[in-house]
Amino acid sequence: MKLITIELKKIQTYRTFWIIFGLYFGFLALGIIMAEFMVNAMVDDVNKRLPIPLPHAVLFNFPDIWQNLTFFASIRYVLIFPAIVIIILTTNEFSYKTVRQNVVNGMSRNEFIFAKLQIVLLLTLVITFILTIVMFILGLIHSDSQSLTMMFDKFSFVIGFFVQMLTFLCFAFFVGFIFRHTGLAIALFTLYVLIIEPVIYFVFRAPFMWENTIYTYLPVNSVVRVVEYPAIPALERLMDFQLQGEVTLLSCAIPILYSVVMIAIVYWSFNKKDL
Amino acid sequence: METILSINQLSKRYGRIQAVNQLSLEVTKGQVFGILGPNGSGKTTTLSMVLDLVRPDNGTFEWFEETPTKENRKRIGTVIETPNFFPYLSARKNLEIVAKVKGYDYNDIDHSLEVAGLFDRRHDKFKTYSFGMKQRLAVASALLNQPEVMILDEPTNGLDPQGIAQVRELILQVAKEGITIILASHLLDEVQKICDHVAVLNKGNILYTGDVHEVLAISDSIELAAEDNQALKEAIENHPGFKSLTVTDGIVLVVFQENIPTAQINEYFHNKKITLTHLAERKRTLEQHFLELLKDNPS
Repeated sequence: MKLITIELKKIQTYRTFWIIFGLYFGFLALGIIMAEFMVNAMVDDVNKRLPIPLPHAVLFNFPDIWQNLTFFASIRYVLIFPAIVIIILTTNEFSYKTVRQNVVNGMSRNEFIFAKLQIVLLLTLVITFILTIVMFILGLIHSDSQSLTMMFDKFSFVIGFFVQMLTFLCFAFFVGFIFRHTGLAIALFTLYVLIIEPVIYFVFRAPFMWENTIYTYLPVNSVVRVVEYPAIPALERLMDFQLQGEVTLLSCAIPILYSVVMIAIVYWSFNKKDL
Repeated sequence: METILSINQLSKRYGRIQAVNQLSLEVTKGQVFGILGPNGSGKTTTLSMVLDLVRPDNGTFEWFEETPTKENRKRIGTVIETPNFFPYLSARKNLEIVAKVKGYDYNDIDHSLEVAGLFDRRHDKFKTYSFGMKQRLAVASALLNQPEVMILDEPTNGLDPQGIAQVRELILQVAKEGITIILASHLLDEVQKICDHVAVLNKGNILYTGDVHEVLAISDSIELAAEDNQALKEAIENHPGFKSLTVTDGIVLVVFQENIPTAQINEYFHNKKITLTHLAERKRTLEQHFLELLKDNPS
């Protein structure tokens, strides 16, 4: 509890933290509103040429809402906001040299790592919790009365989202500790997540979407794939693939494995290096 | 005497530069111990190693006669080179973090801020502080809950004369309370004014360690002049205790291997049939001694 109290003191009145945190939810809300609009526009467009029209996407009804909102909340353009928060909180310690002050005052290096991991976990819990509440309320508003089993049928997506957020923030934690400079860490992380991995996808892409390539196993893609597609039946027909029914253990295992390796590297290098 | 810090054969190399070379020293309770040396002599590296910031290549150290742990660092108050705080947090919040890390409650924070003269501005953000105030906040944070030892690395670096005076006054005050102080500085005058013991460092080696007053006492120089300075020079070079001489403006400045009373020198020249027109003792400052030590040990 002591470590998390110290970390919370560092962010309590840190405006940058609250702004980026707010931006995440802002972009998320915008994304969801736009998504329904865009998917339905696409469906309308296709329907002009189809004898049997495709159904409109309904994003907010139980149990699909769990899948849909966790999907939108975990696309890489949105995930990057809380990741940047973690990078800033980590690299700040190096640029303000407060990491030195912490160690000098009697924090062990492992405690310092552990404190940052606690913030990663706490931020993940808070985001997952807020999102769950939002989904639950939206679901209630948009669904006709349903049985509890039906309502929570796709709740595994919330667990999947938790794993996504946790592992993605672990990547950010890793980048922060390794590069130490705020600007550099954010630039490299953003470049990798938004450009390098997508480029690798285009270079190695398989002829069919469901075939595995190198890209399948890249760290960021392994995170994104945990909640792979939204539950929009029209998409299934349009793009010719099977919709994801649940979050599988295997899909969670890959990003968790990456995170464990990254934490181990941070542990090893941070204990060896001078501060 | 209780040993506070004992360093044994500590070494650190950065690439081709040997920053600290088999350095050993001991600080006992109640000392005001100065580590004196020019920039790059290994002062900060040494202190960083005993504070677990830098990993030594070789050697060991003990705090309070124990193997170093994070727990004994909590008994040390440290001011490292630059004041390191969160710029967006207030002084008070920054000190709360320090207290939490050290495992204290917040009861002593206001007192520390008062001692450092920052109480009125305790709710202002750290980034709004002047450099002098930042440095005083660093001292306040080191003073939190009466540490047993205070480590100060160049505490007056970059301060204006008023700030320097304030920080030195604070240190002397703390020393009076019996807190052991380890002060690293490149300013001789600072060490001279504050410390009672000193270790002189150059290029990672200890050149000299001992009592500051002993350093000051040894071999002062003597100013001499005579009608015939040539004869005087020849005579003095034959003196058994002679070490070196320099001539400026008709005055011969002589350094002896050890202190010789002026009466004895006068008698020496009298016996040599040389009449002195000028004979004066010149107390050497630590600075001159220091420069000489560096010259004698071109390591």
